[in-house]
Amino acid sequence: MRRWRLGRRGRTALLGGLALLLALGGCGSGDDTTDAGTQRSPGQKVQLVFWSWVPGVDKAVALWNSENPDVQVKLEKIPAGSSGGYAKMHAALQAGKGAPDLAQVEYQNIPEFLLEDGLVDLTKYGVADSQGKFADWQWRQVAYGNGVYAVPQASGPMGFFYRSDLFQKWGIAVPKTWTEYKAAAATIRQKDPKVYIGTFPPGNSAWFTSLAWQAGAKWFSVDGDTWVVNIDSPETLKVAEYWDSLVGDKLVATEPDFANAWYKHLQNGQIAGWVSAQWGDSILSGNAPDTAGKWRVAPMPQWDGAPFASANWGGSSTAVLKGAKYPTEATKFAVWLNSDPKSIDLLIQGGYGWPAAKDALQGSALDKPYPFFGGQKINDVFAEADAAIDQDWAWIPTTPAAYQHLNDGFQRAIAGQGTFVDAVKAAQAATVADLKAKGLKVRAD
Amino acid sequence: MTTRSTRRRAVAGFLMPFLLLYAAFFILPIGYAVYQSLLKTERSGPLGLGGSHRVFAGLSNYTTALTDPGFVDSILRVLGFALVQVPLMIALATALALLLDSASAWGVPLFRGAYFLPYGVPGVIASILWGFLYVPGVSPIVDILGKTGIRADFLGSGTVLWSVANIVTWEFAGYNMLVVVAQLKAIDTDLYEAARIDGANAWQVVRHVKLPLIRPAIVLTTVFTIIGSLQLFAEPLVLRPISTAISTSYTPNLAAYTQAFVNNNYGLAAAQAVILAFVACVFSFGFLRLTGQKGDKR
Repeated sequence: MRRWRLGRRGRTALLGGLALLLALGGCGSGDDTTDAGTQRSPGQKVQLVFWSWVPGVDKAVALWNSENPDVQVKLEKIPAGSSGGYAKMHAALQAGKGAPDLAQVEYQNIPEFLLEDGLVDLTKYGVADSQGKFADWQWRQVAYGNGVYAVPQASGPMGFFYRSDLFQKWGIAVPKTWTEYKAAAATIRQKDPKVYIGTFPPGNSAWFTSLAWQAGAKWFSVDGDTWVVNIDSPETLKVAEYWDSLVGDKLVATEPDFANAWYKHLQNGQIAGWVSAQWGDSILSGNAPDTAGKWRVAPMPQWDGAPFASANWGGSSTAVLKGAKYPTEATKFAVWLNSDPKSIDLLIQGGYGWPAAKDALQGSALDKPYPFFGGQKINDVFAEADAAIDQDWAWIPTTPAAYQHLNDGFQRAIAGQGTFVDAVKAAQAATVADLKAKGLKVRAD
Repeated sequence: MTTRSTRRRAVAGFLMPFLLLYAAFFILPIGYAVYQSLLKTERSGPLGLGGSHRVFAGLSNYTTALTDPGFVDSILRVLGFALVQVPLMIALATALALLLDSASAWGVPLFRGAYFLPYGVPGVIASILWGFLYVPGVSPIVDILGKTGIRADFLGSGTVLWSVANIVTWEFAGYNMLVVVAQLKAIDTDLYEAARIDGANAWQVVRHVKLPLIRPAIVLTTVFTIIGSLQLFAEPLVLRPISTAISTSYTPNLAAYTQAFVNNNYGLAAAQAVILAFVACVFSFGFLRLTGQKGDKR
């Protein structure tokens, strides 16, 4: 009898735990269609809440607040989008309250928010007047149909960071092509078996996406009312095969990037290069201070026979979320934040990336020699890269899921199950299914 | 007549607080999750951006979940995990409890506290702590093993699940031990005296007096461990950024979390949660049934 009671109590407690789990799966859904916004009367003091994780944005916000006593912006730091920031925004939008007026949204996540009806069309609030202030292709990253759903902030033209001291010591020329990159990788392994030219991060398919972008792939497009998915194009497969061969020959490391071990290897010289975006400079100088003066930047390695091309990695915008009370003021702040020269300089110092504002390089904090890079004016390299980015790259509403499919496939490949090529093919099929599951019209190309 | 209706009212009065809470925090969420799992989103307008509404989807979310090899793998993975974790955990918890309860034990309060202490560390913190001990380049353990010529990889595809098992054991062995200790304390000391008079040695006391009498506690902790294993979540979530082997659907809970909060597919997430709840029910009730029958025969 006693045994039975104990068992039963245990069960109830356990099932209580299950109920919590079930509640997690059943988070509420709400319809919030109010989009009118309130008109601020002259002299009225208002406060806008802004969610962001960009380093340095606090200083820019403080500057705005000192110049605009009537429209105060309250910055709330949130985790980076893919590490929980977007989940937080989606949850608040679903709940219909608690969402901020403004939020940091990366280019690849804008369609996902549009699908959930989470962004305010800023053309109603005069954003079109500011179009001339921003680079055309970045403007296109935030414009869908006839609407403009965010103000472009920054992008990440790519180059090749490398340890020039090690390359010189071993007599390795800076690779201009991917063929030379592979040869250099092999030489480095011979010279010092502890050192790699770089890592293939199996959990960061955004990086791989940019490499495919450089090779001329166009994963996503729109045809009439249909989303078109073309992840497994010959260009992507070429890139996947290339990295299959490098990983297969153990010429590159396969540790995750932006992780403790990787930072340590940057610092102690076991990772001698990084194909990365312009904002990588502050990652390197912040995490590998002991290597100051030893790094240089070169253009991204090129595919043989193709015209010079770079790619973009990471791009971000300031969006006004549904339910914002003062969309006119919010739009004004978003435009100021991303186009005012003083604000841009503050953001550059934080390392937010390559400004989306036109002609921001000349005379800005970017236009100077970097002691960490031995006095090289690294942004000349990135300016050249910026001009060589295929500007028609587009995203889909399920981009995060597509990234995950690639990550899962890459991780399987690293574990010895299949290849990167298999991962790309599987991601194509899974992404088509994702869009279908969202109730969207989709076609595979 | 009046007494009966009074008693009825009294019964209702005493039960009501429990029933209300039970309904609000147990029945309702389950019902809502099951309801969500039967819905899907339909969209209109060009590219589907013209608005959306939720429609009845039948069991399509369930078929989607069960035909997704990633999700099925995640269930098989946690079942495999439980197969190793449950016996290990129970053996360890029981052994520790018996040691603390043995006549020759000293420093009992100190050791009991020390064993129990990890339970006071939240799972996320525990995973971060152990994460530092697993990451090559940071971990002294990996360094020392490396110097002796052993290349330890605690985060690889073949090992990371057992690295998680290590964290879970560290966290919960002390707690389960305490449940067993409580039951041991409840044993009437007359029984030990009787056993000694009958000539039983210490080992025989354990085998024939203690173990049979702490059986309910062992059953309880086993069920805790089964369900805990199936619900694995925080540890793999925290280790994910430093391991290349943990996918976004590594465990069923992680898969449901990803569907709900990354892909905004609440219907599918709810279906996955219901499936996991069902699997957990089958295994825990199955285990209770199994042990219950054995007990009756004896």
